[in-house]
Amino acid sequence: MQITFWGVRGSYPVPGAATVRYGGQTSCVEARSAKGDCVIVDAGTGMRALGNKLLRESMGPRQYHVLLSHVHWDHIQGLPFFSPAYVPGTKIAIHALLTAADELQQVIGGITRHEFFPMPLEAVPATFDYHQVEPGVEFDLGAFHVTPIALNHPFGSVGYRIDCDGSSWAYVSDTAPFDRVLHKQHFLSGPEPLSDDDKTSLGTMREALVAKLRGVDTVVYDTHFLPDEYARFPHYGHSTPDQALDICAEANVRRLVLYHHAPSHGDEQMDQIAATYLAKGEAAGVEVLTSFEGMTLPIGTADPPERTNPGIGPA
Amino acid sequence: MKIRFWGVRGSFAMSGRDFLRYGGNTTSVELLTDAGERLLIDLGTGATELGKQLMAAEFGKGQGKLPILLTHTHLDHIQGLPFFTPFFIKGNEIRILGADPNSGLSLEATLQNQLAPHYSPLNGLENLAAGVSIETVRPPAKISLPGFEVTTMAVPHGSMFTTAYRITADGKTVTYLSDVEYPDLDAPPAEVLALARGADLLIHDAMHADHDYDLRRGWGHSPARAGVVVAERAGAKKLALFHHSPDATDVMIDEVVERTSARTAVPVFAAAEGSYLDV
Ligand SMILES: [Zn+2]
Ligand SMILES: [Zn+2]
Ligand SMILES: [Zn+2]
Repeated sequence: MQITFWGVRGSYPVPGAATVRYGGQTSCVEARSAKGDCVIVDAGTGMRALGNKLLRESMGPRQYHVLLSHVHWDHIQGLPFFSPAYVPGTKIAIHALLTAADELQQVIGGITRHEFFPMPLEAVPATFDYHQVEPGVEFDLGAFHVTPIALNHPFGSVGYRIDCDGSSWAYVSDTAPFDRVLHKQHFLSGPEPLSDDDKTSLGTMREALVAKLRGVDTVVYDTHFLPDEYARFPHYGHSTPDQALDICAEANVRRLVLYHHAPSHGDEQMDQIAATYLAKGEAAGVEVLTSFEGMTLPIGTADPPERTNPGIGPA
Repeated sequence: MKIRFWGVRGSFAMSGRDFLRYGGNTTSVELLTDAGERLLIDLGTGATELGKQLMAAEFGKGQGKLPILLTHTHLDHIQGLPFFTPFFIKGNEIRILGADPNSGLSLEATLQNQLAPHYSPLNGLENLAAGVSIETVRPPAKISLPGFEVTTMAVPHGSMFTTAYRITADGKTVTYLSDVEYPDLDAPPAEVLALARGADLLIHDAMHADHDYDLRRGWGHSPARAGVVVAERAGAKKLALFHHSPDATDVMIDEVVERTSARTAVPVFAAAEGSYLDV
């Protein structure tokens, strides 16, 4: 199995000179089994380039599976620009957590409402079907075995552990850490005091996450914030690399991949973050890599990442 | 009056080396009078960087005032809204003006849907700390804003309409015609010509290269030559090609400018992110 990063940015796409090497598009990762099965995790703006690549591979209609962590714009905005959706006969299965909304179909279809996008999802040639995921309820998608894991994010979000070809990786984004803030189904203008029940919920969520990540080869984790940024915005629903490293070290994960980079973190700062956390990871016994757009990572081997183009990635 | 393009890209924000000179951000354009009054058109991703820079002055202190004109609510024109920092500072007064989309929903309900809890952690316009008013414009109404006189016009954009603007300040006029496709390229509607009449700068949708247009007719966007026809007939003094296709690299846009300039006496340039230009 291998995974390719098509979008690594959090919140919104960031064009410009500062994001040329790490990339400016938002959340989207493609997993491939050894025999070529494909599953897509998150449908951020990175999904446009992925779709164009998939069409170059095969012009015919195919079945695609998309696992969504949640439906914040940065995780779904690429869907209407996924070119295989315009090939008649294509089937797209969307798997997502039901959060604040009544109907998954309505929420996903809502991004292409007449007011937002020129063509409604019903008019797109591909057929869409919708599957609700529940944390703890595992399922199979072709060669992939998928385990959804509850995360701590405004209105809920879900991570995925994906097992295939005798190895495993996990997608843990978006999530806040599990101590200061418990995200629920309402707006937080700042951290709220935690009740004993809240503390128990956070503890349970963290324990379940560590249990599901135990022994996983590679974990892709929301590390949007540096520690000083987290201190200012603990209620935004994102983690720091240090918090991710704690979880991964505890779960005996081999490799942690930093992901969902803050829009303000330009290439030079990303180089520094990559170097700092590579060293911190060594001390904690976890290999720490920093994701960039176009990086392909073999899962379950010590092979280094590949770049699709020599000009991208760390300096 | 000065103008600055913060976002010039249509449909989809493009990052990477191929989009550095013209810029990859979706549409957002700032106008500034000689006296310092400011007006913003559209809230694509380009607005995000402007928002950050505005924080250095009165908007950082909660004393900023800004009117924003929306052409329509397709995502590439509003996706910067949740990330425009002046919205998060109490005391700022921001007016969002635009027409109701022709879907039966009001402009306000549409922006509320954009910020619905499943889509955005902001969870509704009411959670923006600044004073925000959403004001429905009914083209062809005229609007007076501090420092600017604005004429509005509904123009066809695929299955819907967008609002085009003619904006006058300091004796200069900018006409903004983005996201528009005329039924007949060679005969733009009279009201469009009136909106662009004698403009010092015409900003026009040029999503498609002329040779690509036949495949994309009816999608609601113009080829580069549509702007030329309007500029020539309306006597506009300068034409800015705008709303570049996400597939158009810097080199491709250079070629469009070259070919377009060769067919008209009107000075033509492609709008690019960058510095303040005199109108
Ligand atoms: Zn996100
Ligand atoms: Zn999110
Ligand atoms: Zn547009």
